[in-house]
Amino acid sequence: MPDDGVLIHAAGLIKRFGDFVAVDGIDFEVRRGEAFGFLGPNGAGKTSTMRMIGCTSAPTDGLLSVIDMDTVAESTQIKSRIGVVPQIDNLDIELSVRENLEMYARYFDISRFEAAERIDELLEFVQLAEKAKDRVESLSGGMKRRLVIARALVNRPELLLLDEPTTGLDPQARHLVWDRLYRLKQRGVTLVITTHYMDEAEQLCDRLVVMDKAEIVAEGSPRELIVGYCTRDVVELRLSDANRERLKGSVDGLVERVEWLPDRVLLYTETGEATLAAIQDGGIHTETALVRRSSLEDVFLLLTGRTLVE
Amino acid sequence: MNATKVVRRNALVFWRGWRSSMFLSVLGPVLFLTAMGLGLGSLVDPNVQAFGGASYIAFFATGMLAANCMQSAAFSASYPMMSKLTWQRNYEAMLATPLEVRDIYFGELAWIGVTLAQQTIPFFAVMALFGIFDSPLAVLAIPAAVLTGLGFGAAVMALTATLKTDEAYTWLFRFVVTPLFLLSGTFFPINDLPVWGVAAAQLTPLYHGIELIRGMTISNLTLVAGLTHLTYLLLFLAVGIVIGVRNLTHRLVP
Ligand SMILES: Nc1ncnc2c1ncn2[C@@H]1O[C@H](COP(=O)(O)OP(=O)(O)OP(=O)(O)O)[C@@H](O)[C@H]1O
Ligand SMILES: [Mg+2]
Repeated sequence: MPDDGVLIHAAGLIKRFGDFVAVDGIDFEVRRGEAFGFLGPNGAGKTSTMRMIGCTSAPTDGLLSVIDMDTVAESTQIKSRIGVVPQIDNLDIELSVRENLEMYARYFDISRFEAAERIDELLEFVQLAEKAKDRVESLSGGMKRRLVIARALVNRPELLLLDEPTTGLDPQARHLVWDRLYRLKQRGVTLVITTHYMDEAEQLCDRLVVMDKAEIVAEGSPRELIVGYCTRDVVELRLSDANRERLKGSVDGLVERVEWLPDRVLLYTETGEATLAAIQDGGIHTETALVRRSSLEDVFLLLTGRTLVE
Repeated sequence: MNATKVVRRNALVFWRGWRSSMFLSVLGPVLFLTAMGLGLGSLVDPNVQAFGGASYIAFFATGMLAANCMQSAAFSASYPMMSKLTWQRNYEAMLATPLEVRDIYFGELAWIGVTLAQQTIPFFAVMALFGIFDSPLAVLAIPAAVLTGLGFGAAVMALTATLKTDEAYTWLFRFVVTPLFLLSGTFFPINDLPVWGVAAAQLTPLYHGIELIRGMTISNLTLVAGLTHLTYLLLFLAVGIVIGVRNLTHRLVP
């Protein structure tokens, strides 16, 4: 089989639940060794896609291959070579921390001896060695998440699927997880990550797609997306109503795009400082003014809108 | 066989509390049979021929062998299984490994079988101590009771795979399991029921389980009757398995 470096290949991938379309004909490729992200608002179809990749949900239509195998016909073989960190922790609460890993190793047909070695290593890796004998219930949210990650690594997967790996964790725990994921990537593990955190996507992902309403609406590296969809700078202004009206009259042609929010005005421009100076020189008084570099969050909101989906 | 891994997981959890569960599964029947034999049994006229010549305690205990298995299996396939399916998501975790739905299904069903045997054998042994059985062939009552229970286990598993909440179980136990227990011939011969009641009781799998067990232990079973009961129980189990695998697949791999 030709190893062209493509680990996951999806074309025209569709997932329907009854009449409801959760994933509507998406195309993407994940290359070996990269960290690939799925961004998107609640209900965009990220988990549905992850489950199809993880072979626990059959595509309704379209093509999906993982490690050059078909996710329906060859699910068992695929599953033996990947690791899955689900959106909601599903540890075995009747077992201890170590037993959770032992049992998982058994599911993967890893010998007792081999498993013991790997589990020691993994517990160190996620900093849970001291907790090995504890019941899962006694762990904090961050510890549980780390244990789920360790569990997903017990079969030394070449591909790791992480569905919102750090949602609900405190900053310390998030940084620890990021660090570990970065190390896995260094070792050549391919990562597929969904997240609602833009900083997480910028930190971890080489490439990402933005999903909205079951479709992919943009694709690229974080940098490419920012450059491609946004200006270099964003000027955030708070204005009195009178000044707001005056700005409305004068802003056209000054910037590439204006966003009138209830509490703020956002000006998208290549030259933030100069734009702000021009406005203030024009006699418009700003209550607060902030010039900043545009971020992935700006792109995300531009692509998926500011209103809640529900 | 990947299903054995599911059995081993359950066995590991079971061994945690084996002392108490073993103790209960022996002490339970001793207390029960003593109380029944001395108490209720003394109220029943020993000369009545309704129990096929057997003592009431023998009649009742043989019925209980099957009825216990029904209740135990129905329970195992209800709340504990819903927990693994919906609340704790153990099956989702298993499914992310090379285990497939059928491995999970048959592993769980096999484990129900193991627990049924674990409860039936002590009960049977206590009955033997009470001198209820004449023939060593009576030991066949154990697999017959387990088979009866498995059928109910499979049926309730098929139901559980379709449920999102546990409300239906109240109904299941109140309007299906308990009436079956009371009216399928555990406590009194179904011939005491009105004609339509006899016909209804004969349709229930529990009746066939009980008749099979009684026939092999305390009364005489014709080959035809034995095969009829056995076929009925096997069919009940087979239908439960087919529907259960289908439902669980729909649920776990949507
Ligand atoms: N088994 C199912 N049956 C019916 N509808 C489903 C099922 N699973 C998901 N959906 C629906 O499909 C849509 C996409 O869900 P999905 O979980 O993929 O979104 P998501 O992008 O992961 O969202 P979130 O960020 O909230 O996790 C949702 O509207 C959800 O209600
Ligand atoms: Mg999701």
